[in-house]
Amino acid sequence: MLRVVRARLGSAGLSLLILTLLAFVMSHLTPGGPAYSILGPAARPDTVAAINHEFGLDLPIWRQYLRWLWQLAHGRLGSSYLSNQPVGAMLLSYEANTILLQLVALTASLAIAFGLGLLHGVFHARRLGRLIGTVELGLFALPSFFVGTLLILWVSMGLGWLPAGGLEDLRLQHQTPGSILSHLALPAATITLFTVPALSRYLAQSVHEELGRDYVRSAAARGASPGRILFRHVLRNALRPVVTLLGLSLPTIFAGGIVTETVFSYPGLGWLLWQSAIGQDYPVLIGIVLVIGVLTVLGNLLADLVNGLLDPRTSYA
Amino acid sequence: MPDAGSVSGTGMRVRLPGLAALSGSGSLLAGIVLALLVLFLCFLVPLAWRADPYALNPLSPLSHPSRAFPLGTDELGRDNLARVMDAGRATLLVALPAAAVTFLAGLLYGLASGLGPRLLDAAMMRLLDAVLALPGLVVLIFFAAILRLSTPSLILLLGLISWPPLARLVRNETRAVRDRDFVQAAYQMGGGFFHVVTTHLLRVMAPVLAVNFTFLVGEMILLLSALSFLGLGVQPPQTSWGGLLEGALQLVALDPWWLVLPPGLLIFASLLSASLIGQGLLARQGRA
Repeated sequence: MLRVVRARLGSAGLSLLILTLLAFVMSHLTPGGPAYSILGPAARPDTVAAINHEFGLDLPIWRQYLRWLWQLAHGRLGSSYLSNQPVGAMLLSYEANTILLQLVALTASLAIAFGLGLLHGVFHARRLGRLIGTVELGLFALPSFFVGTLLILWVSMGLGWLPAGGLEDLRLQHQTPGSILSHLALPAATITLFTVPALSRYLAQSVHEELGRDYVRSAAARGASPGRILFRHVLRNALRPVVTLLGLSLPTIFAGGIVTETVFSYPGLGWLLWQSAIGQDYPVLIGIVLVIGVLTVLGNLLADLVNGLLDPRTSYA
Repeated sequence: MPDAGSVSGTGMRVRLPGLAALSGSGSLLAGIVLALLVLFLCFLVPLAWRADPYALNPLSPLSHPSRAFPLGTDELGRDNLARVMDAGRATLLVALPAAAVTFLAGLLYGLASGLGPRLLDAAMMRLLDAVLALPGLVVLIFFAAILRLSTPSLILLLGLISWPPLARLVRNETRAVRDRDFVQAAYQMGGGFFHVVTTHLLRVMAPVLAVNFTFLVGEMILLLSALSFLGLGVQPPQTSWGGLLEGALQLVALDPWWLVLPPGLLIFASLLSASLIGQGLLARQGRA
């Protein structure tokens, strides 16, 4: 198992190294650059040169890259071109907001997908199953930026029920849990609508497969009630692929729905990624990509390890 | 590890796993009808409705749908129907070539890895793992931000993001087939390398490839629309469905439902169509 972990981390480290190197080279070959992002297109050449010098952008690329790696080895990711804050601290504070949003959305998604998937799996050949399947198919094709815009248009603007964006109520001195929850509601609903169909289908498929196995028949022959078979025997096995799916979606939990956060101007990591992309704020951009890359690898690894625990047959010797 | 219906870590997914809702032929038929409707609107209706998508009508900004403007006008008084059709052409004319590029890249990479010597195969699969370690949309935003893309480079970039899953699939299929008797027999009977690859290997893989191409088209439309919605895809003055939605979101306080629904529903219809066709093909091949 250790060998697999080492190999995974090795290949991930390699890809992150290549990506950051590529990003460095490309970001310095393109015209414009951060000086023009800060000063605007009419900047004077000597001001541009001064800014470039301040950020070390006048050094050769390979020296800039080595400097960045050296700083990374000391746990520093540099500071933002636009706000001059240290990137590490920025990432942490936005990350906390993203995790809050994603946990709310995940709880809702799991609750809904669990019920829907179970019904779909048990009744898959009947009318109810087909209905659920069709609903899943439709939800699945709805892009989150469309759903988010509709929710703002109808719920937030039309009905005036919930705030359309942000996380804090600027009229309040201290944020109350109620106010924060009301800001979380629409983005969390958008993410939930987006996550439910895949989760539910996965569970349905898995339940359907397990119901056809021999142990179900023998449990029924011994007189176990359908409820007991379903919840005590089938569900335990059927949940395994769902765990894998959750592990695979860990990076989403940490990286946030980039698009959803942008629609609702929600101050999470995805929104920060978008902001720094639009503003060509490279230190922040590279920092986020690095963090998301690491989390993706860890998520995949975790999914494999947990699966190994649930089913010893798939564990790595 | 199962393909969790997740193409990239950030939730850009096109392929729904598990039990299908409709029968194969029903799903296929519905998908094809939907695709034809979208294509008809984007490419044939403009021949009859010849309004200029860029012409300003300062006297009628943000007007509701009417006889003169069937889908209303935007904040500059531009005809929304003409804009939606123009945006649709732009979206499809980037997404479809991008899907083709992705398809070719994945196919060639997978074939090379599957047919090549063991060492090359190992190296190529290692590289593939490295590419897969990052969520596609994140990489896409990253590069789009740095490069500020023109249309051809947008097609290329979109095409070079999503090939790894297909490449791995092709590689595994190739490995499974290449030592089978009928392939060996084709060589023995004097078939050249290209002859064997094209007429034997690819023919066996054709059904799988067709399904994957369908899903790729949907994925590209979704990726491009998201990217354009974020202001990093198709650049103004050219519009796209994602760009139109982003513009409508800016005006959301004025309740412009006629600007939100058409581009959103068209993206929805395109994705649904790709999903239906893909699932229909899968069901017909008996693998749903």
